[in-house]
Amino acid sequence: MANNKQTDVIFGLYNDEEDLLRAVKAAKNDHLDIYDVYSPFPVHGLDPLLELEESRLHQAGFIYGAIGTLTAFLGMSWIFTKDWPNIFGGKPYWSVPAFIPITFEMTVLFSAIGMTVTFYIINGLGPGVVNTYLDDRITDDKFCIAFDKSAVSAERAESFFKSTGASEVNSKTI
Amino acid sequence: MNQYTLSSGHRNVLLGAIGIGVICMILTWMGDDQFHTRFWTNFLHNSVFFTMISLMAAFFIAACITAYAGWHTTFKRVWEAYASFLVVGLVLMVILALGVYMHWHHLYHWADDAGVASDPILSGKASFLNKNWYMGGTLVFVGAWAFFAHKFRTLSNEEDKEFDSTFKIHKSMRVYAAIFLPIVGFTSAAMIWQWIMSIDAHWYSTLFAWYATASAFVSMIALTILLIIYLKANGYFNEVTENHIHDLGKYLFAISVFWTYLWFSQFMLIWYANIGEETIYFRERYDNYPILFFGNLVINFLVPFFVLMRNDTKRKFGSVSLVAVIVLLGHWVDYFLMIKPGALITRNEALAHGHGAEAGHAAGDAAHGGEHAAAHVSTFVDGFTFPGLLELGTFIGFLGLFLYVGLTVLSKSALVPKNDPYLEESMHHHVI
Repeated sequence: MANNKQTDVIFGLYNDEEDLLRAVKAAKNDHLDIYDVYSPFPVHGLDPLLELEESRLHQAGFIYGAIGTLTAFLGMSWIFTKDWPNIFGGKPYWSVPAFIPITFEMTVLFSAIGMTVTFYIINGLGPGVVNTYLDDRITDDKFCIAFDKSAVSAERAESFFKSTGASEVNSKTI
Repeated sequence: MNQYTLSSGHRNVLLGAIGIGVICMILTWMGDDQFHTRFWTNFLHNSVFFTMISLMAAFFIAACITAYAGWHTTFKRVWEAYASFLVVGLVLMVILALGVYMHWHHLYHWADDAGVASDPILSGKASFLNKNWYMGGTLVFVGAWAFFAHKFRTLSNEEDKEFDSTFKIHKSMRVYAAIFLPIVGFTSAAMIWQWIMSIDAHWYSTLFAWYATASAFVSMIALTILLIIYLKANGYFNEVTENHIHDLGKYLFAISVFWTYLWFSQFMLIWYANIGEETIYFRERYDNYPILFFGNLVINFLVPFFVLMRNDTKRKFGSVSLVAVIVLLGHWVDYFLMIKPGALITRNEALAHGHGAEAGHAAGDAAHGGEHAAAHVSTFVDGFTFPGLLELGTFIGFLGLFLYVGLTVLSKSALVPKNDPYLEESMHHHVI
């Protein structure tokens, strides 16, 4: 999450995604408020556990696609009837079948680029953006649960990490 | 409950459906022209449709095994049951092939020897479009499909008996599947050319076999979804969850889009390459069957595309089964549109010139085909320009037969296979 406010977090690293899932379940049972969970790859079953709402990215994708459809179809219709009419192979100016493949491709292109850009903006990613992260290894082989120290006391968090089998516990301000 | 039993009530419903079909076929026969064209086109239409559906079931079993897929394992018996219909399909298609020999019907212009002799296009195609190829192809190829379908089913049943940690049976199934796939690829195309495309004997399209196969594939997926939901409603198949239905829904969506791609490309290539004489196939349908021609696209593309686009509509049994019913009927109409217009032209030629003089069709030749065809089919012809009640009744009869065979086979083995190496994976299948 892109956030300008500094947050003190305490986080534990796990070696296995099964350990991570068990720990998240335990945290829910103990009513501990999880700040965030980090993983090098999507962990199956984690989203429903964290009660994350379903992404609306695909709805944005549909809208971008529809814009692409209209842009391509209306654009070609205008170009080949009004702006620069040309006869290709004896076909009429407004040859709808010839427009279909390009309309299809523009739909795919618009929704793909639109969704990528939206995804980058939502997640605060992009070229030149420097993101702070808790530990290098959560992009490689470690799974991480982080607590906000103002919500969960350090002692409470440490005992939780110990009981759930975390391999390391660290603190960091991000 | 891991053992399906076809209750007598449901059996009676299916037998009733078959009865409706038989009555409708008799009525069609009685009210028909001298060649019984409407009867034979309906017979061909439904026989090919359901034979292709069961072939697609066998094909998909083989494709899944070869791809090391495990999601379908809990309900693979449904496909094995559908694929067993191939034996019945073989009988149905052999009846049609005998009809070519005995001149029971006048579906195929190329079956008329005098007409072929005076027609350079048809005599050029005569080495493929002839009665021996039709009969031989049907016997050998459909026979081979039925053999492989039988093999998949018996091997799968054998696997149930005893757990074998080396999975010997599954490995031999893998070999059969790998052999079967290229056979399906080439032979299904050849038989579709023979059975359906050769009705428009002067016309050809290299995409046609794919187009017809995609149509049957969608129908097969639709029937699978409907049968699974029916079985779940009757207390079976607790192992099959909305996650499996979700994946089947994705196939329904994806292959519908694939079908649309072929529907369009088939015309697009001919149109863009300026092959005017090949546009006759579309001219005929565009001019004389506009409602079916464009309705086909709405039902089989727009409906599944927009309804099944969202995640949750693929997971809810109500929406996915509604689309399955619509698309099943839609692809049945699609086959109707492949068969009836060409058969109507051939019939009109035969009626106009008398028996054995179908050569008149060739005189019109492809270049003037548009006007030529339009002159014959400018008016509504019940059962040809639109499916009538008798067509629907025949469809219900064949559907009843298909499900009767399928469910009888299904009741002969355990619903969920026991020792399949992918069973655990399939039991825990989650897609979101």
